[in-house]
Order: sequence, then structure tokens, then C-alpha cells
Amino acid sequence: MIDLRLKVDPLPIVEPLVLRLCERDRSEHSEHDAHLIGRETGCREYEYLGFSVRIHASDELPLDGDVLMILPGQPSAHRLIRATSMHNTLLITEQCDQLCVMCSQPPKKHHLDFFDQFAIAAKLAPSGAYIGISGGEPLLHKARLFEFLASSAVARPDLRFHVLTNAQHLEAEDMKRLDEIGPERVLWGIPLYASDSKLHDEIVGKRGAFHRLERNLAFLMRAGASVELRTVVMQQNWGFLPDLANFVANRLPFVSVWALMQLERIGYGRMNWRNTFKDTSTEFSALKSAINMAVAKGVEVALYNFPLCSVPPDYRQFAPSTISDWKRKFLHVCRECSSRSACGGFFEWYSHDEGFEGIRPL
Amino acid sequence: MKKRLFAIPSFLAAGFLPAKADAVSPAGVVEKKDAPASIFERLHLNHIYSLAAHRSHSSHRSHSSHRSSSGGSYAAPRYNRNITSTPNTTILPNSGQNVYQATPDTPVYPAVPGQKLKVLPGNTDKFRQIVIQVQTALSLYGYYTGTIDGRIGPESKVALAKMQEAYGLKVTGTITPEVLNALGITAE
Ligand code: SF4
Repeated sequence: MIDLRLKVDPLPIVEPLVLRLCERDRSEHSEHDAHLIGRETGCREYEYLGFSVRIHASDELPLDGDVLMILPGQPSAHRLIRATSMHNTLLITEQCDQLCVMCSQPPKKHHLDFFDQFAIAAKLAPSGAYIGISGGEPLLHKARLFEFLASSAVARPDLRFHVLTNAQHLEAEDMKRLDEIGPERVLWGIPLYASDSKLHDEIVGKRGAFHRLERNLAFLMRAGASVELRTVVMQQNWGFLPDLANFVANRLPFVSVWALMQLERIGYGRMNWRNTFKDTSTEFSALKSAINMAVAKGVEVALYNFPLCSVPPDYRQFAPSTISDWKRKFLHVCRECSSRSACGGFFEWYSHDEGFEGIRPL
Repeated sequence: MKKRLFAIPSFLAAGFLPAKADAVSPAGVVEKKDAPASIFERLHLNHIYSLAAHRSHSSHRSHSSHRSSSGGSYAAPRYNRNITSTPNTTILPNSGQNVYQATPDTPVYPAVPGQKLKVLPGNTDKFRQIVIQVQTALSLYGYYTGTIDGRIGPESKVALAKMQEAYGLKVTGTITPEVLNALGITAE
């Protein structure tokens, strides 16, 4: 697992500080640049406005171009943007209005607004970066989020965003904002768990969620938005997956991709693991029918977070390596596997005792 | 191709057409091009995501990298008024720009009393204040003869290095926590 935080010596700051670490000359400069002035084992020293910023990190760790956020009184810096990674995600809020049975990040009550810091970070991102926006539910802070996306779109037309949202909070008047941001700039990752409204509402713990989602998916389609539909495969919706495939193919064929996702064993997903996790390495039938149906209707399908050997050979083409680098691990048995480079592996918090039975090297 | 073919069922989802409408041939409708910002135009937009999906499987895969945020969070910053010996927030503008919001724009939870954090001065100003203190102290002790301008230039760096050497600190020519301690500028 890659560290998303780095130990830092205390700085005399009273508000969050966003810095870009510069170890080499860069073509563009910013007032937020901190320049490397010294190195010792396990520690690098940068200068920012005459102050020393000392970062403790292993010597091999590439930090050039990384964007850090340092909070007052905190001995660690958050790596908001890792220049060498494809998996940078900004956590907008920990609040949420749904309570999904397998939520990997159970909601918290309070919110801290870091949009000003995120806006600086986005401006400092490497060119062409693809930045994830996540929560909690980012659209709970819709006005600030849209402001952030719109200003980033102007400042950095090369950036693209992937926004994970339950899409409950969209209104007709948001159309203008979406237009300003540019429909080509954002991919909306939106969860849908069943085509049966009752079952979907039950899984997300909110009455009326399905109907609202249905309405807002239609809205996003009218806005010309790109949508990645996300369905976590669970015991709860296992038998209903073919129905859902039908629904997606017939009612939501405008989606860019329909992602079927394996469970993350963290948060509520861990608490409810026993009655939620579906071992798809021993039984794949419902997924087969669902995928067959969707593919036949021309819907792009992908399996996220499925170890390659847990998927029948014919369906492995749908299972890209998707687990973010900073939360990925491989098992002991994977050492002998010839498909390791193509395989997404496992979440850092996956436990093999309660996991897939059919894991074996390919 | 796919997008055109399925445009009509999508309208169904949007509640535009009666249930029977998927029997209607979509061809003529989707080709219509006169209203530039119409839904039809939008459906023709070259979304990079769907384009990538159609270009090849592998290029699509790299775009569809899975994201979720579990494991990440930013702990609440503590507002620490006492971090320097001369809190001087009054000279700084209360711009209202940098307020941490304790409540969301569309509140789902009631605001918690006492959670609202204070308006904070910009870092640069804060840093400049500290630099002024450092330069003053360095002049007082005879290491610095330049102007006290709140900026660390070459002269300040030399002064800092000399002072660090004299105090047996790590010589960096920058303001380190040790320098602040030694000059009595950090008071916690
Ligand atoms: S053995 Fe490990 S690396 Fe190989 S396919 Fe299975 S999970 Fe992936």
C-alpha cells in the first residue's frame, strides 16, 4: 500500500497549506512551489518562502511534482496529488444521505470544506491528469463542487474528473452549470444496485432513492453527461442481476460503461461481509447471464475489483486491473501466477479466510 | 453506432415517449441537426470516455480505473492561535473567503454548535509576520544587517546560516522549527 500521508516537521501555519514539491526544474512555476534544498536518509528538505519544509519519506519514493496539503497542528501531510499515479482522488466530504449496506466509508456528521485547497491542488496537477472526486456524497456540497469543477475547467482545460456520486441531488437548474463545466470533462460514477425500486432502496438505506436516481439519470442523459454506472455484486442482488442487465440495456443504454463491482471489505462492507459477500469464484451464473445480455445489447461492461482467476476464462476480458495502487495487494499464491501484471489483485483490507475459494495461479 | 441505435429507449427512460415508442425507428429522429444545443446534439458529443471504450478494449480499460475513497480522510485541522508568540490577527482582513464550513450548502445534518471554525489569515501574510520576527531577532543578535522586509533573501539566508551554526543547529539557511524555538518565536 502506498502512503497517502507523509510525516512532516511542524510548520507555523494557521490554515491548510497546499504545496507542490519541486525536485527538478519545471517549465511552469507557481507561488505554491517548494524547492528541494537538501536530502538525508529518510528525510528531504524543501524551501517554501524561506521556511524549511521537512518531509520524512523513504529515499526511493518519487515526490517530484506531488501536491501536498499540510494542516495546522498535524504532523502529517496529505498527498492530494501524486504526480506519478493514475489514481488521485480528492475526498470532498464524509457526509452522505444514503446508508448503503456495503459502504466502504461510512458517513460522518461533520464536514470540513477544503474546496479552496482542492482548487489550488488541481491547478498544480501534472498535465493531463485524471482526478477522482469522492466522498461521502460530493453533491451534498453541490454549489462548491460545481464552482470547483468550473474554475478548474477554465484554469486547466487538460484535466478530467471522475465524480463518484449517488446522483440524488441534481435539479433542472444545474443543467447550465454542467454545460459550463463541459460534459466532456467529467465522468459521473453512479451506483445502481437493482432494477427493483424496493431492493435498491433497501440496499442504499433510503426510501425513494431509486426513483430519484432514475429521474436524475435521465437528467444527466439530457445534459449529455458521461455516466459510468456502478453495481456492487452482493448476495442481496445476486439473483436480480439479469433483470438489472435488462433494465440497463433497455432503459439506460446511454451509459459509457456498466461496471459490476466486487465488494470492499472495509467499513460496513466489513461489518456485513458474511451476508453480503458473494463468492463469484465458485458461482458465476447470474453474472454470466447479466453480462451476456448487456453485451448483446451493445452496453459496454466491465468487472471491477475481480481477481482474474475468480472469473471464468471467457469473461476475463471484462476484468481490467482497477484497484487503485495505494490500496492494492496480492496474495502469497499470486507469486507463481503468470497473469499478475494483468490482474487487479485484492484490496489491502481483503481477508482470504473469508474471501474467494477459487483463487489459484494462472 | 450504439449511441444512435439506443437513443430512443433512453428517451423512454427520460419519460419522453409512451411505452410503445421503442417500436419507432430511431433513424430520422437522431439524425436531426438543426437545434445546436438540443439533446440530439449532445448525444453526438465525442465523450472521451465512450470514445475510449470503442477505440479498443485496452485503451478503455485504462480510463475506467476504479475509484473509491475508502481509507482516505482529512482529519479536522486544529486552529491554533498560540502557535507564535505574537498573534496579530487584527491587522489582517477578514475576507470571509477562507471560512471552513461546518455545515453543507444543502444541510442533511443539523449544524453543530461550536464546530464553525474561524476566519483565518492567509499563509503568506502569516509567514511574512514570522519572517519579520525572525529578521528582527537576527538583527538584535547581530546576525542580520539588512532591511526587515518580511522576505527571506540571500542576506537573510546567510544570517540564518550563521545563527544556526552558532547555535549548533542544522545549517539550512531557512527558517526551521529549531530556529523558531531558539529565537523564542514559537510559543506553545
Ligand atoms: S493468482 Fe493472484 S495474481 Fe493470479 S489471477 Fe489470481 S488473484 Fe490474480
